[in-house]
Amino acid sequence: MSPRKAFDEARLMLVGLLILIWTLIPIYHLFVMSITPQAEAFAGAVWPKTPTLDNYTTVLTQGHYFLGHFWLQLFNSAMVAVAVAVLTLVIGTCASFAISRLRVRIGETVSNLALLTYLIPAAFLAIPMYATMGQYGLLGSRWSLILTMVTFASPYAIWMLRQYADKLPYELDEAARIDGASPIQIFWLIYLPLMMPSMVAIGTYALLLAWNEYLYAFLLLSSDTEITLAVALGHFLSTDDAPWNLLMATGIIYALPPAAIYYAFRRYMVAGLTAGAVKS
Amino acid sequence: MASVSVEAVRKRYGALEVIHGIDIQIPDGEFVVLVGPSGCGKSTLLRMIAGLEEISGGVIRIGDKVVNEVPSKDRDIAMVFQNYALYPHMTVRENMGFSLKLRKAERGVIAERVKKASQILGLDPYLERYPKQLSGGQRQRVAMGRAIVRNPQVFLFDEPLSNLDAKLRVQMRTEIKALHQQLKTTSIYVTHDQIEAMTMADRIVVMHDGIVEQIGSPLELYERPNNLFVAGFIGSPAINLIKGTLRRDGGRNWVATEAGIDLPLNGNASGQDGQPVVYGIRPEHLVPADNGGLPVTVSVVEPTGASTFVYADLSGAQICGVFAEHPGVNPGSRMTMMPRLDRVHLFDAGSGQRLAG
Ligand SMILES: Nc1ncnc2c1ncn2[C@@H]1O[C@H](COP(=O)(O)OP(=O)(O)OP(=O)(O)O)[C@@H](O)[C@H]1O
Ligand SMILES: [Mg+2]
Repeated sequence: MSPRKAFDEARLMLVGLLILIWTLIPIYHLFVMSITPQAEAFAGAVWPKTPTLDNYTTVLTQGHYFLGHFWLQLFNSAMVAVAVAVLTLVIGTCASFAISRLRVRIGETVSNLALLTYLIPAAFLAIPMYATMGQYGLLGSRWSLILTMVTFASPYAIWMLRQYADKLPYELDEAARIDGASPIQIFWLIYLPLMMPSMVAIGTYALLLAWNEYLYAFLLLSSDTEITLAVALGHFLSTDDAPWNLLMATGIIYALPPAAIYYAFRRYMVAGLTAGAVKS
Repeated sequence: MASVSVEAVRKRYGALEVIHGIDIQIPDGEFVVLVGPSGCGKSTLLRMIAGLEEISGGVIRIGDKVVNEVPSKDRDIAMVFQNYALYPHMTVRENMGFSLKLRKAERGVIAERVKKASQILGLDPYLERYPKQLSGGQRQRVAMGRAIVRNPQVFLFDEPLSNLDAKLRVQMRTEIKALHQQLKTTSIYVTHDQIEAMTMADRIVVMHDGIVEQIGSPLELYERPNNLFVAGFIGSPAINLIKGTLRRDGGRNWVATEAGIDLPLNGNASGQDGQPVVYGIRPEHLVPADNGGLPVTVSVVEPTGASTFVYADLSGAQICGVFAEHPGVNPGSRMTMMPRLDRVHLFDAGSGQRLAG
């Protein structure tokens, strides 16, 4: 390696390191707070004098006013996330199959319109969405959040899955047609198995999108037994003497599933982000 | 097995017509090769026969049945694609058995037919492998296997060998030919490689810009090309084509080139005195001559072992001769090449059509 190149590389490393630290500092604070006893909460220490796991015990045993429905709310979050992922995948795979493989006439238009929806920031649609859910009598139900998140995740899913689908050689479909497969059989026996890696990536995307959603969950859900954990976390801030360390402990727990999912599927995620996940 | 008949078939993409009315009759059991330069419509025609493209005009029959509106899966055909189109998520065995499975054949029947096909093609050791674990030649064989397990009426091939290296291509082309001799299934084979066409075909269909230029056995095309296009397309190295004017004087005929060279002709050549013509002589039909013939200046000598290619300049025209014996010349030497008069082809310069005789 030439000195010049080594110098360039060192500079890049330095920038990378700074960004890494910058990103990790809040997470570090989150963690430190979560193992700090209530009494020391605002000591501002880099490391607590008497680290403890009590906060976690309190959270897991629902031992605080704000945590009365912790497990149910965690379940709500999971249920919403999984439902959103499944519905988004159903819509995305069917639409991409129709556009890319059946080559329906309006496919191209649909696919472009799907992307167009992202010109409007999701937050701007909050009021119309609220009104719509009201009209269908879904306000307060987890289904309102599920349907909303599916609405936001689907266009991206359609667009991305369509990109992957286009990479599958069309001759595979033609060969299958000659072999005697109907469109439904091509979908189940050829298309789905080959799309699996990209479906994992897109499914994870939808799952995390729904899991992390705050605005719409806050807007559409109200009762303590219907809200997701994200909204419950927000409720902590409704008093002046918020139990910060419990909030942080809950926050850490809340962040674990996405981290685990991301770690488990990182291969597909990277492939998903860089495209070309499907080998012909 | 069945005959295939293509009658006045046209193909339009929107306003653009790419196939302009093609007629081909293929009797039962024949191996027909569609050949022509890139973009001439070979694949399009094949895909119309396969039912993968709609037919814009005309009729295609398989057996006695008009198949214009019949979906691919009911045409009882099998197709081998250029990129093989093997299902990447299925093993070789599953790939080959897929069509039978879709047709709800019994497990035992599928196993037996796959076994038979894999024996014919030497695929036994690879049955449990996935396509990505196979070499190009093996994949090619699996694609063939997938076609033959079904025992279809017609095999369709779209440049199946063009992704293989030269040596394997030669080997596979012999194998496909041998397979056809064994199975005798009507086959339509698309290629742009005229050597492949010459070696494999019972009959060749030469296509050009969406029309058929000539249909005939390999030898017919070689010995009596109907027009300049076929003459230039068939044969390697390509035929020498020299422009000139036909001269007749008493019983003697010859072609006078602009550079003032007289090209010898048979006494029975047809055409009129003064007619602009193209004089065609294949490189292998030139013989080194001591006197008479065409005086040339040698530019390149390529010994291939079996024969020697000599590229030379004939007063401005480039010509090539292929000689069994090395003529003992070097670049820059002068020599004379004598055309074999019974092998000369004469074409009308305007229409490009062969002049009778
Ligand atoms: N979907 C399409 N839309 C418009 N034109 C097309 C389409 N498919 C093919 N063509 C045109 O039809 C003509 C014939 O194409 P085809 O693929 O049959 O050529 P080919 O003889 O198989 O060539 P090659 O040897 O390169 O495979 C080409 O000029 C091509 O541009
Ligand atoms: Mg082609």
